[in-house]
Amino acid sequence: MTQYEGTDTVNDRQHDTGGPPRVTLNVQTPRGLWSLTEPADAKLRPQYPISTKIGQVVSDARVVFGFVEDDSKYALLRAKETLEPERTLASYHLEDGVLLVLSVQGGNA
Amino acid sequence: MSVAPEVTLEVVRRELTVAADFANAAGLLVDAGELSGERPCFTVTFENRVGDEFHVEFDCHEYPLYPPTVEFVSGDRNERGTARLYPSGLHPMPCVCMRYNRKAYQERGGPHGDWRFVDWRLPTAQGAAIDTLAMMLSDLESKIRQSTGRMG
Repeated sequence: MTQYEGTDTVNDRQHDTGGPPRVTLNVQTPRGLWSLTEPADAKLRPQYPISTKIGQVVSDARVVFGFVEDDSKYALLRAKETLEPERTLASYHLEDGVLLVLSVQGGNA
Repeated sequence: MSVAPEVTLEVVRRELTVAADFANAAGLLVDAGELSGERPCFTVTFENRVGDEFHVEFDCHEYPLYPPTVEFVSGDRNERGTARLYPSGLHPMPCVCMRYNRKAYQERGGPHGDWRFVDWRLPTAQGAAIDTLAMMLSDLESKIRQSTGRMG
């Protein structure tokens, strides 16, 4: 459940009432940083309920930076640790403002 | 066709700004201390899954018209291109067998006679286009991180 601009934002906020706590992430990608302020024109921001799965963060980061190729390999890292897409943010005890890395691997020739 | 050294240097410096942000976040060490128009080269140190270090030199002559030459080197830079400097899992030539590496092209002794330098930004099969220095670092980081040993 990402923070959207536009009508979805209102729905999300209504859902937030009494919902799980949220965490704000910073995600460094090879195409730039994703944060609450960067890139300026991003339609999604990396602020999530802690019940969100890692895979959702990866999907959203791909949308923001236009990583459209499904056959590339994408992974979210915390330092050297690869975060499993099926696990939740809460399961990794991610702190507000933590810096993660979106790793993008091309194909093989 | 060629690229003026000062143009290459400016493009490399600009792209390295983004690449350095990615490298810092991913725990990679970038050494661009000797970067110059005459020698537009920098090195990056990666680690594999078990903590072995790998040093990669990017020689960006005529970049961005042509891709860099990407080569594994020793920590002291005195040895280059030998199998023991490469992580397991890469092309056994040994070579980073991607369009972004000039060494992969047949004109430079590589396996690919079907590629042209000027098309280096095209996607290789099964993946995104690796079209910037930051994307190259990401691609290599991912492949090296998954390896557990050396090629030779």
